Amino acid sequence: MPHGALLIAFVEAVLGDGEEAVACARAEVRRQLGDAAFVDACATIASFNAVVKIADGTGIPLEDWKAERTADLRAELGLDAYRR
Amino acid sequence: MPIVVDGTRLPARDSLVGAVEDAWDRLRQPGTWWSGPERLAVAEEVRRAHACALCRQRKAALSPYAIAGSHDKAAALPVEAIEAIHRLATDAGRITERWVREICDGPLGEERYVEIVALVAIATALDTFDRALGQPMRPLPATITGEPSRSRPRGARRDLAWVATLAPEAVSAGDPNPYPVHGDKNIHRAVSLVPQAVIDFFDLDVELYLRDHEIRDFAHEHRAITHRQIELIAGRASALNRCYY
Repeated sequence: MPHGALLIAFVEAVLGDGEEAVACARAEVRRQLGDAAFVDACATIASFNAVVKIADGTGIPLEDWKAERTADLRAELGLDAYRR
Repeated sequence: MPIVVDGTRLPARDSLVGAVEDAWDRLRQPGTWWSGPERLAVAEEVRRAHACALCRQRKAALSPYAIAGSHDKAAALPVEAIEAIHRLATDAGRITERWVREICDGPLGEERYVEIVALVAIATALDTFDRALGQPMRPLPATITGEPSRSRPRGARRDLAWVATLAPEAVSAGDPNPYPVHGDKNIHRAVSLVPQAVIDFFDLDVELYLRDHEIRDFAHEHRAITHRQIELIAGRASALNRCYY
């Protein structure tokens, strides 16, 4: 995927504590992807740093059709361990 | 307010900029269960939670429930509200059903808790967006006076999640109805005990992320990054938050 590693680094920097790391990642995303893509990447990070609180704060279950389609993937990655 | 970083006005969809400004404006207005000043106090506490010593200790602990103490706080909100805000803001991934039920069955009550969940999410989205962009944290706006509506949907039931939710088929004529516009997946139902909160969050979120019908429209790219790049970001952010859903 184009710029996959850079986008991962950007997410981790934004959600981490280091200001220098965020500034470096930000500059690199802008340089490599351009400002329009940078804005949308920022927006996506914001969305998912937020929506998780709605899911985790209310305990909504996975929809049955999602659970069926992702059963193998969740087992392989150990994601079911995240359930409380 | 345009998006300006390092003196450069960045290219951003008008709808995104508008949604952000609307979200800030709604934060300061009376909600369903909390007043305008109280809603802004929630946003202030979300910011303070990240520097809270108790929250940092709990985050580092094997179990957050093993650490007792008082939160570093500024807002004049009930202590139960402060606990809810700080936990949601800093360690939502380890929230349990027992903790939610204790909060909801206590002095705070289920309705006010659910609105707090939405407010924490909205404030987090707005502040995270500014942090990612490199914009300074926005000063909280002036409040708007007025009374909360205090209306609980008659059709809300605790049959899906840890809190009562309003099924699409149970929406009454007097309830705000978020489902026709935003969709009716479980994530849309999550805070539907306060239907306006669903509208407030998703009016912002569809511009930050994608509209429900765009998420699986793989024939078109709706953003300046691709579907795959969007989902890569989404997956990583969710994993860092330890979110199961």
